Amino acid sequence: MGIALQLLFTGLGIGSIYALVALGFVLIYRATNVVNFAQGDFAMLGAFSMVVLCIDLELPYWLGILITLVAMLVFGALFNLAVYYPLRNRGFQPVIISTIGASILLENGVLAGYGPRPQTLPSFFSFQGFSVGPIFFDSQYLLILGVTVVMVTLQYLFFERTLLGKKMQATSQDKEMASLLGIPVALMIMLTFIYSSALGGLAGILVAPILFVSVGMGSSIALKAFAASIIGGFGDVTGAIVGGLALGVVETFGAAYISVPYKDAFAFIVLVVFLLFRPQGLFGEKVAEKA
Amino acid sequence: MSLLELENVVTAYGKVEALKGLTLRVEQGEIVTLLGSNGAGKSTTLRTISGLVRPLSGTMRFLGQPIDRLLPEAIVKLGVAHVPEHRRVFPGLTVRENILLGGSNRVRASRRELETDAEQMFAVFPELKPFANVLGWKLSGGQQQMVAIARGLMAQPKLLLLDEPSLGLAPLIVQQVFQIIAGIRAQGTTVLLVEQNAHMALSIGDRGYVLETGRLVAEGNPEALWNNDVVRAAYLGGRKMVR
Amino acid sequence: MSGIVSSEAHKPPTEHRSGHGSGFLIVFTAAMTVAAPLLLPLTAYYLNLLMQASTYAVAVLGLTIVLGYTGQINLAQAAFFGLGAYSVALGTVSFGLPFWPALFAGIVIASVVGAVLGLTSLRLGGHYLAMVTISFQQILMLVLTNWISLTRGPDGIPGIARPIVFGFSFAESGTYLALCVAVLWVVGLCVGRLKHSKLGRAMQAVRDNELAAGVVGVDVYRTKVIAFTLCALLGGLGGGLFAGGFTYISPDQFGFAESVVFLTMALLGGARSPFGAALGTALLILLPEWLRFLKVTYLAVYGGAVILLMVFMPEGIWGFLETLRQRLWPLAVLPVGRVAPLPLTTKVAREDGSIILEVNQLSKHFGGLKAVDEVELSVRRNTVHALVGPNGSGKTTLLNVLSGIYKPTNGRLFFDGQAVTRLLPHERAGRGIGRTFQNVRLFTAMSVLENIIVGAERPGNEVAVGSTGVEQHALAALDFVRLAELRKQTVQSLSYGHQRLAEIARALAGSPKLLLLDEPGAGLNTVEKSELVQLLKRLKGHGLTILVIDHDISLVEQVADRITVLNFGRRIADGPPAEVLCNPEVVAAFLGNVKTHVAP
Repeated sequence: MGIALQLLFTGLGIGSIYALVALGFVLIYRATNVVNFAQGDFAMLGAFSMVVLCIDLELPYWLGILITLVAMLVFGALFNLAVYYPLRNRGFQPVIISTIGASILLENGVLAGYGPRPQTLPSFFSFQGFSVGPIFFDSQYLLILGVTVVMVTLQYLFFERTLLGKKMQATSQDKEMASLLGIPVALMIMLTFIYSSALGGLAGILVAPILFVSVGMGSSIALKAFAASIIGGFGDVTGAIVGGLALGVVETFGAAYISVPYKDAFAFIVLVVFLLFRPQGLFGEKVAEKA
Repeated sequence: MSLLELENVVTAYGKVEALKGLTLRVEQGEIVTLLGSNGAGKSTTLRTISGLVRPLSGTMRFLGQPIDRLLPEAIVKLGVAHVPEHRRVFPGLTVRENILLGGSNRVRASRRELETDAEQMFAVFPELKPFANVLGWKLSGGQQQMVAIARGLMAQPKLLLLDEPSLGLAPLIVQQVFQIIAGIRAQGTTVLLVEQNAHMALSIGDRGYVLETGRLVAEGNPEALWNNDVVRAAYLGGRKMVR
Repeated sequence: MSGIVSSEAHKPPTEHRSGHGSGFLIVFTAAMTVAAPLLLPLTAYYLNLLMQASTYAVAVLGLTIVLGYTGQINLAQAAFFGLGAYSVALGTVSFGLPFWPALFAGIVIASVVGAVLGLTSLRLGGHYLAMVTISFQQILMLVLTNWISLTRGPDGIPGIARPIVFGFSFAESGTYLALCVAVLWVVGLCVGRLKHSKLGRAMQAVRDNELAAGVVGVDVYRTKVIAFTLCALLGGLGGGLFAGGFTYISPDQFGFAESVVFLTMALLGGARSPFGAALGTALLILLPEWLRFLKVTYLAVYGGAVILLMVFMPEGIWGFLETLRQRLWPLAVLPVGRVAPLPLTTKVAREDGSIILEVNQLSKHFGGLKAVDEVELSVRRNTVHALVGPNGSGKTTLLNVLSGIYKPTNGRLFFDGQAVTRLLPHERAGRGIGRTFQNVRLFTAMSVLENIIVGAERPGNEVAVGSTGVEQHALAALDFVRLAELRKQTVQSLSYGHQRLAEIARALAGSPKLLLLDEPGAGLNTVEKSELVQLLKRLKGHGLTILVIDHDISLVEQVADRITVLNFGRRIADGPPAEVLCNPEVVAAFLGNVKTHVAP
């Protein structure tokens, strides 16, 4: 029982990372109808940035985090301009391929700059964590959960309570109508990319002390985040969060009770199961075709 | 100077020329209707004016200023609001939120101002008040139409473009909508109205233009148009019509 | 039928000559390139490079089929390549099989896995397929790396044997390369031929306009699965040859990065042509060798190249050259010899005025919106039946339900005495329902004639078997609408009016028993409209049954025997034109209610 609860805690922690990346996916998809295959690489960039700033340059963690977040905001804008914007009227396939290209470019760019050896980042905290009964609450995992809760809450408040949030929602529901009302659609999309990039970067910052920081970490997180958003119901914000958390838990339990090397396979298996039996996911709605 | 002037406007969708050299004008304080059957180019005219479609040639002027190269976001800021076909209420936002966003072109307005104006809309459309917090996709056709018009009025436009407001609405609701349109003009907003329902349109308009396959085939005041065979032929073949 | 003249005899002489000429050229070039490795003294370095290029090109040809022809994305080609490679490696090294059975096993395994993957994910949209293929790719890598007892893990498998045929050994690299090149030629020619076959046309139809493809009779799902399976098959073949070529393989050669490399090769060369596949592969393998010092960044360059390609040259080099060629040497209008008349009467008409289409209490709701509300409709054979109504009355929705694009919420449909309510669009085409669209939906990348041929190839069409028979039939349909001279033109170069006629010809080529026309007059000028009226009268004269939607009442009343009027999704009138058009309710629906006085 104690082990199960421990696994649950760990699973929720890693699931939060998936949820944060999935959230970025879904927001971009809702605004632009495009699946961004480089989403996971935003996390990878965030993690590597921390390594460069805090290990190589020996900056304090708080400064490293600040600089990384700002850098990711700027990066999101550049990404929009270079990868999405030139292809925005071309249909979804060229854009998917373009984001794949971006993913390869980012991963190999970092590889060229940093080499293939995985890096490690020490935990942010000097104190390890604390125990309550049979469960050990690792401080980094607590941070991840805490930050995720705060982010999700802030995001909810932003979209539901601010006018800008409403304008962004309107843009993702009906771009043309939004522009007829005077909402600057291109700007709304730019903000979406900037925010998603920062979300991804944040996920990378949070997860860096837990995993090996390697060039391929982004792709593997992206795969799971995508699976999570399909499980939750593709296009649904709540679904992305629930799906991410659920997947993290399933994966952790699977690794513990079934097999460790094939841990990454669970995401795929769950994904295939959902695609076969419930492609609209937990919260999604069936999409109708029009003539 | 006319409020709106179109001269020889040509618009095409790919290979198909939807407007083949359209010339018309709208004066301040009028209700002008665009009539014609399906595919005549009425909606295309409005979409060209509001900037959703760029004309191939010809000029468009609003208050003397050329608008043929502007984005929709810029045109609505000049004071032209377009309420498009099929209402297009944002399905995931509430009635109040939809109406609020209608003021998005008024960059200097504060949130408080917009909310006050939105509340005033509920006075103009009292049936919407109980639905203020209902999501757009749950509304009936008539309710959606009212929300769309309220949203258009929030922009405080000088010129309101209305595309087929009676589409899919029961006759009683249509009457209501047209009462509202008349009221809009009374408040000082000029209206350019596209309607397939020729009767209603002519009963409310000061002037009308009749389009057929992208060309102007008749213009004049309602009485003249109603008695004009060309208009009837454009809608109903004309030959076997009984008055 | 008398007067049938073979189109062969009347082909302008130049067509004949160039056909034979290019055949000789191809055989000659193929023979030269196959013989070259045997004759020229190439170093081991170049031999390896060319072996890699030729086996990769086979895999890239798979992408030509699935992405170029069918428009479906496959990001796991390296995984299928790996399946083929590991089958040959494990087969020959661990299980002691000879080369050919191991290669065959590899091809079968790759194909089966491809089919399964395709069957599960091709029902859903493009990004699902992309994600599933990437996932599969990652899983395979995991298995190859971790299932050490079977695959020997990251150490890889050395010492793969090369094939022996009737005692002749391919162990020598030059000979093996010649084998690879020969296989590449065979596969390339097959893929090239595929484009002009019935399956190839179906694939391109799916890519260009999936909705229209289904309505015209193409089994869209099956076509996609076949394309995907063929792609996997070629991936496995390439991988198997690759293993034999390099005699050592390891898991890292078959990862996602390699899939991206395959994709980039296809895109760079031009995904829609086998020449493009070869060109892209050659460029991307041979060129970087100069840039070897950039080894560490060259994958990054790949990534950037993919983005730039998509933005500036989406059709690849070959596509760019094709567009150039079309602009410099545009296809001429081709005169056509005598064409057999289109066999509409003999195959379709029964002039007994019985009911051919019966619509019972049909409803289609979209959430709370009742687009079609309990509509009853009967269409009699050999009549023109018009469906009219103001904007938003449900006409097009009804037509979409009739075509099978929408499932009805309630109600039943009977065609030719049989229930068709649940049939898919291509099944309805198979029963003899033809259709055109309000926004013309032709297959843009194919010529006019090819478009019509797709229509003629609908299941159950009783046309003479064999390609000549089908082409003759298509030509006859085109001739009926008087467009036969434009048959070789691209669809985009046609005027809008001609595009509409071509779409009608495509439907006619399917020998329809019932023709559904959705706003055929939309966008036509007065002259074109009167020509349309003449065409409809001719069709009716031949015994065809037509259900036409149009808002132009003067057009409709010239051809219709019966008119059904819809308003707000309900039927408000049904009868002969004279009666219906005088009905006050109909007048009100179109022109609005009796004038009411609205206070200014």
